[in-house]
Amino acid sequence: MHRTLALPVTLVAIALGFLISVQAQTQKNVSAAEQISAERMTQMKSVVSNSQAQNTKLQQEHSSLLKQLDVARKQVGTDPQLLAQLAQLQMLDGTQAVAGPGIQISIDDRKATFPLYAEDIATMINTLKFAGAEAISINGQRIVSSTDIVLSGSSNILVNGEPINGAPGIPYELNAIGNQDTLYDYFSKLEATTLKQNSITVSIARKTLRIPSYNGTYTFKNAVPVIVP
Amino acid sequence: MNKKERSLLTFASMLLGFLFIILLKTQEVTGSQAVLQEKTAMPSLMQTEQENQQLSGENEKLQLELAKYAEGQSSTKLANEQLQDAKMKAGMIEVSGPGLRITLDDSKRVAIGQEDPMLFLIHEQYIRGIFNALWNGGAEAIAINGQRVTTNTEVYCSGSYIQINGTRQMPPYVIEAIGDESNLSGALNFYGIWIELGDLQKQNGLTRKPEVLSKVVIPAGSLRDYHFAEPVKEGT
Repeated sequence: MHRTLALPVTLVAIALGFLISVQAQTQKNVSAAEQISAERMTQMKSVVSNSQAQNTKLQQEHSSLLKQLDVARKQVGTDPQLLAQLAQLQMLDGTQAVAGPGIQISIDDRKATFPLYAEDIATMINTLKFAGAEAISINGQRIVSSTDIVLSGSSNILVNGEPINGAPGIPYELNAIGNQDTLYDYFSKLEATTLKQNSITVSIARKTLRIPSYNGTYTFKNAVPVIVP
Repeated sequence: MNKKERSLLTFASMLLGFLFIILLKTQEVTGSQAVLQEKTAMPSLMQTEQENQQLSGENEKLQLELAKYAEGQSSTKLANEQLQDAKMKAGMIEVSGPGLRITLDDSKRVAIGQEDPMLFLIHEQYIRGIFNALWNGGAEAIAINGQRVTTNTEVYCSGSYIQINGTRQMPPYVIEAIGDESNLSGALNFYGIWIELGDLQKQNGLTRKPEVLSKVVIPAGSLRDYHFAEPVKEGT
């Protein structure tokens, strides 16, 4: 071999050796990382399946309780008029789940110039109330009189004290039961236009909806009923 | 350099490049995979957990009601109790208690020069912002200009007046809330709207007057009719 070649060849050989050893090291790291992530996944899976098992159990319990209660109510024969009044009040205070025709509004602000603020959500809900909505929910949270919509930290929006972010797919889904034409008109004219100007995707669909009950509690520590003599 | 040497060198360099690319690829893959799987699992877990919480709350309520039946309380008494409870929650009963009174009013001064005349008026979002802060501070009942704030209450600006519970309201707006005074004041001071109104009071002469009262009386709201919504059982 010529002398001139000795240096480049040596350099190449050194680089080669170095790379091979780095590669081997990385492979080792990769398999270690895979192992850790596999462990974490199994842990995660067990947490998820636990929570799902609990969910099934709770649902069974729930339906059996409802049946028992139905039987008990029939046995004592409560006045149907009284029960109707109770249902009406409970639809208002939100402790009663409801179903009926309405509109479903899907809002995606992930490509927007500005993401939705808590105030924007409050404004939309106010417009739905203005349009005569009989029941409203956002991402499964029923809107009641005492519903508060606030920002927690830098990007979590809490409704009724519960975070509504983190849902996969569409970030926000508003459901409103009421006169479909009125709700549609009011929302599309008063809200959707402004939202679209801010590159927020809005779609409104007429649907038969189901709105869950309010899962918070009403507490009265200071307010007492005024007894009318 | 002869031909053989040159090709040897070329081959070695190619191998070097190849290995380098593989190395880069492996590095990239390592991080992303695990994170991705966890990201998809988290939201569904959160949802199930939330649902579980709601269900166990519901079940507790049902059990309590069932226990009352089991105790053999008279059905009429039980139904009336429930009715009273529901009326209280729905805001259909006049209530009194300690709390706050907040008076908001447009400025008596007129905007001059470059001043924005809109910043001299009380707007619907200020009122809603205050309601929101008060509920957040644990308010038990709220009324504005004698209108009880219920589930359906809208606060909607319709030009010169603000529509609340279908009625036309004009300034001054007097908001009254029952609750723990320090919690209510704390919540007000925490949210921007209160501070903003304070600034507008200083600069433009709006009125933002809070008063702590040992007794406020909040009127009952009115019951609405339902034409579209029907009660349904949960979880079916």
